Amino acid sequence: MRKYLLITVALALFSFRASAQSFLENSQVNGSFQTDAQYYVLDKGIGIDDLLGKKMGINGFGKVNYTNGNFSAGVRFEAFLPEMNGFRSELKGVGLANFFATYDNGFIGMTVGDIYDQFGCGFVFRTYEEWSLGMDNALRGARVVIRPTKGVTLKGLYGRQRYYWAPYLERDFNDDDTRGIVRGVDAEWDLNQSIPALNDSKFRMSLGGSFVSKKQYDMSIFYYIPENVGAAAGRLNLGYGNWSFSTEYAYKINDPSAINNFIYKEGQALMASLSYSQKGFGAVLQVKRVDNMSFKSMYTGKQNDLDINFIPPINYTHTHSLPSMYTYSTQPNGEMAAQLQVNYTIPKGTALGGKYGTKLAFNMSQVNDIVRDSVMDNGRMVISRPGSLGYTSRFFAVSNHRFFRDINFEIDKRISKDWHITAQYINLYYDIETIEGHAGAPVVKANIGFLDLTYKINKKQSLRLELQGLWENEVHAGYEYEESEKKDYQKRGDWAFALLEYTITPHWSFSIADKWNYGNPVEEYRDHYFTGTVSYIHEATRIMLSAGRQSEGVVCVGGVCRTVPASSGVTLTVSTSF
Amino acid sequence: MKRLSLIFATAALMLFAMGCDKIDINNTHKPFEPVAGQKAVLIKDFTGARCVNCPAAAETAHELQHLLGEDRIFILSVHAGFLAQPIGNFPDFLTEEGTIWYNNHDSNPLFSVDHVDLTEGYTLNVEQIDAPVAAALNEVQLFDITTTTTYDEASRRLNVENNFYPTGDGDGKYYATVCLVEDSIVGWQTIPGGVDREYVFRNVFRGTLNGADGQLVSNGPYYMEDVFTTTSSIEIDSTYNADHCYVLTYIYNYESGKIMHTVMEKIK
Repeated sequence: MRKYLLITVALALFSFRASAQSFLENSQVNGSFQTDAQYYVLDKGIGIDDLLGKKMGINGFGKVNYTNGNFSAGVRFEAFLPEMNGFRSELKGVGLANFFATYDNGFIGMTVGDIYDQFGCGFVFRTYEEWSLGMDNALRGARVVIRPTKGVTLKGLYGRQRYYWAPYLERDFNDDDTRGIVRGVDAEWDLNQSIPALNDSKFRMSLGGSFVSKKQYDMSIFYYIPENVGAAAGRLNLGYGNWSFSTEYAYKINDPSAINNFIYKEGQALMASLSYSQKGFGAVLQVKRVDNMSFKSMYTGKQNDLDINFIPPINYTHTHSLPSMYTYSTQPNGEMAAQLQVNYTIPKGTALGGKYGTKLAFNMSQVNDIVRDSVMDNGRMVISRPGSLGYTSRFFAVSNHRFFRDINFEIDKRISKDWHITAQYINLYYDIETIEGHAGAPVVKANIGFLDLTYKINKKQSLRLELQGLWENEVHAGYEYEESEKKDYQKRGDWAFALLEYTITPHWSFSIADKWNYGNPVEEYRDHYFTGTVSYIHEATRIMLSAGRQSEGVVCVGGVCRTVPASSGVTLTVSTSF
Repeated sequence: MKRLSLIFATAALMLFAMGCDKIDINNTHKPFEPVAGQKAVLIKDFTGARCVNCPAAAETAHELQHLLGEDRIFILSVHAGFLAQPIGNFPDFLTEEGTIWYNNHDSNPLFSVDHVDLTEGYTLNVEQIDAPVAAALNEVQLFDITTTTTYDEASRRLNVENNFYPTGDGDGKYYATVCLVEDSIVGWQTIPGGVDREYVFRNVFRGTLNGADGQLVSNGPYYMEDVFTTTSSIEIDSTYNADHCYVLTYIYNYESGKIMHTVMEKIK
């Protein structure tokens, strides 16, 4: 008997060990860490004569994800001690910001914890985290994804959104935190996957539909705030050969909020995109209309707080310093936008293409306001009056009020084995009054150009030179301004920028740069913004140290922006992943 | 499979059915009834002719006034701050007292409701204004005020006598500020999308008759039968339309800054 017992225990242990070994073999752990720190110094030259008690700002996070077969889980820890300048002060704090656990066997997927997801293009639902903006609107709750048949995906989710460090418990509702609960469903049908006859067809089609509703709490003393606000969207994607067409329309019922000044009008959004691509050539035409589509889970929310949805920008994303100074920020209360992008590669071996080919790109985008007509309210014709419908708007009417226009042309060419050049010209129109809130400030009308030249010294070393210029048509040195409005001209006028970067692959990079506002109409603002940067890369670890000045500006990702104040000091960034 | 799809479709339909509340556009305002006394509330609207968001904010304040009664809510449009600086054709409504009250804030529009929390950020955003207004209306009125004005057309001299009647016995240091207000001035105002050249400025603060802090009414114990009187005088600027001018008087606790009552009278 004892013998049998010993054999049984031995077998059980062996089996457990084998299963534990298999479990460990299937386990995968990955993660990333980043710390950004800024040390600020007084710099009267650029108007910083008071640090307002903040000598240093540190933003940091670490996230670890674990995967084992169909199961995955993760946590993210954040620390803002205190937050760096330009980030919302509500971020100050430290703690576990995010966690989740998911099981997905292909047929059903379930997640609990903090959820990031998107329905369609995001018109009615998108939760995401963008470190550079200090933005995180994760939904803490649960999600179910079902794939009942090939090509069909059904999703359902609910939860409450992250609001900096505010607790999630309902009993914590107060005047400053009236976050609602977000519930949503989404269905998508990919016909090419579902219908065998279409599996290999040149014709491609998929359909989708979403419905999202927020359950919020009416804390208003004066207005009846709808406690359930629903938004629905439908989308269609078509393709044939080299052609693609996609469109999405969204509708939201009355949603009075601080953003729309408590009007009760419905919201609408439409986007359509037509594209063609073949080897060496691609073109995309996009149009968009947005009317009263701010959708937040707290009706008193401001700026980008608690956005349930996302309105995709259809503008060119500039990455160089001066072209990205005036980046368009999406206007959820109303905009009509259009964009055309054409890319063409002149083939290798032709007169213009040379040995390596030449890439050409043209882009034009423009955004205007929508047309708003007044409505009758209590016997008076009003526009955007709180408590009223707000206005009516003809769907296809475009206002003469232009917010933004960007026309740019780029050449990208490898001249020889060692030389590579990129050059771009941009013609910009930027209504700084609407986009950045500088009341009364004249529109920025500018010509911008840059040259990005790389020379490969040898297999390991290279030099890169950037030369950029921004020339305003009207506001520059000599422009007459009123003394009292001087503050509005802090970054206006003509700019020059130069950067020289020396890289020793795979580890080191050194650069020096100067951004000079030489043509500012205000003499005392004609400042140099010098920076010197050293960065070291070792596998997935990057350490970057820079010192110098940072000019006032905006940082935008996907049409969502934050303002960055001018500063001077030292910045250290350390990041790694595994 | 079909069952699952059916369950999903049912859940989606339920969410659709329950997920929308349509508010009757003719009934968007809640009834509001102040419960105590007849205390009037003063909203100081710190605004600027070049402030693009100020007209909507002013509209919100007037909306509150419209809802709650023009005898219970008074609005004083104080042009102060960077966006109130007169540039080009934008009007100059700056005042010395308004600049003192604005206290180096850096944005418009901003509101104060009965000088709530004067020591730290006494201004409120437009979205936050309704609750403090409602709370202030429900406070007990400590003083009643009567204002008598005499205006001489020829000299444009305005004399004001205010009588303050305690509604009960009490103690404290109380000051009163007497303000000159001009209504319905037409001028340039920045609005979303451009400039309204014929914007009608309401309740524009033109200065005080007795300084930014006003003058002493009572210092120490006071009794219900007491009457305190203050007098003040000013020569109305020749560019002001006397037909549209008012005197606005408020009494406040000197220690806390909190306004106890406000009245407004036409000067003629």
